[in-house]
Amino acid sequence: MPMIEIKNLHKYFGDLEVLKGIDLSIEQGEVVVIVGASGSGKSTLLRCINKLEELTSGEILVDGYSLTDKSTDINMIRTEAGMVFQQFNLFPHMTTLQNVTLGPLKVRRMKSAEANKFGMELLKKVGLEDKAKVYPDQLSGGQKQRVAIARSLALRPKVMLFDEPTSALDPELVGEVLEVMKTLAREGMTMVVVTHEMGFANEVADRVIFVDDGVILEQAPPKEFFSNPQFERTRTFLGKVQNPNAG
Amino acid sequence: MAFDFDASVMWDSVPILMTGIRLTIIITIIGLFFGFIFGATAGLLKLSRNVLLRKLAGAYVESIRGTPLMVQVMFLYFGLPMAVGMRIPPLTAGIVTIALNSGAYIAEIVRGAVQSINPGQMEAARSIGLTRFQAMRYVVWPQALKRMIPPLGNQFIISLKDTSLLVVIGVGELTRTGQEIISVNFRAFEVWLTVAIMYLALTMTISKILSVVEEKVFHVKR
Repeated sequence: MPMIEIKNLHKYFGDLEVLKGIDLSIEQGEVVVIVGASGSGKSTLLRCINKLEELTSGEILVDGYSLTDKSTDINMIRTEAGMVFQQFNLFPHMTTLQNVTLGPLKVRRMKSAEANKFGMELLKKVGLEDKAKVYPDQLSGGQKQRVAIARSLALRPKVMLFDEPTSALDPELVGEVLEVMKTLAREGMTMVVVTHEMGFANEVADRVIFVDDGVILEQAPPKEFFSNPQFERTRTFLGKVQNPNAG
Repeated sequence: MAFDFDASVMWDSVPILMTGIRLTIIITIIGLFFGFIFGATAGLLKLSRNVLLRKLAGAYVESIRGTPLMVQVMFLYFGLPMAVGMRIPPLTAGIVTIALNSGAYIAEIVRGAVQSINPGQMEAARSIGLTRFQAMRYVVWPQALKRMIPPLGNQFIISLKDTSLLVVIGVGELTRTGQEIISVNFRAFEVWLTVAIMYLALTMTISKILSVVEEKVFHVKR
């Protein structure tokens, strides 16, 4: 059984059709990188997977549970599929440790001591155990994003969704976030990553998906995808992101 | 006719005015306590996904904001008993009016503060599996509350001063007490000056309390 299965997904914003029939199956432990121009629908696709966007039609199954089935507990799905946002969205009124332990405490009903211990383990995992008592406004962008990753991991999700996790970062801070993501990938986490970091895609992805104008235009393992794209649209896109100053 | 300022009149009026102050404080505290509950409820209902609840809260806010407080209190105290045949004690009528009136304004303060919180906060909270209610309670509300403090302080001060309008139904609060003293000694200048100073002391106390709350509870630097 695939970890994520998307069947004929359509998504409208008003009259605008953003996703025009997406079929996608992602296996457990697979790292899938979604690329595409802005406005192509790649972020919307990701946001549909944990139902931050309502599906207009079609079906999504996460770990076998249908998002559209009325009997599915949507909060349970969201704990199965952790989300990391471009803008971090850390809770500014809580320390980093409190950010990480909120889910375990309120959703998993963990005891406070146990949650704190687990939270510290996660902060250690992202290299920020010394920042446990600090508030988010005292962290750099890269540190914020690492805390956000720890916060998602605190629910022990089966899938991690990354929505342009490094796009809001200063260039010198991108590496530390990608390192954490690589570690997760090596540990066998199922990951869906929307990103413009082609180096990351090339190194870590099992499969690269090119979304263009609301459809999956092509998908392939990274070596093949980058060296031999099948469509002209893909070649144009790759040309632009790999040589941003040319043309 | 020479005006002869007599400071001793001010001192002499203080003990009686203190009974008025006591009532002013009681009405303000109880009125604002319920006003905040009404306001928080109506403010959150205005953000509800249920159209009927939104409209209901909107009607409350509009009808209270759109009518003078003095009319509201006279309607409640003199008007309503004629329809229902039961008179409410003036103090109760006064407190209810202050609560309903401040609640309508507080509703808008609450709605505005909650809406000013980045939607990403709600999304992030939902994405870790919190229910809508939990996300509101643990993530959005605490941040919104911090932003509410300055406009709430404004409203608290306005409501405190509005209690003076309760003279029309004979509640023995500060302004009423002042009137009563003047009706005996005719020293309007000294007595109204004393009353004004007392109101100022009360409103400055509210300002001070709120700035301490901002600093100690919400760590806002000034």
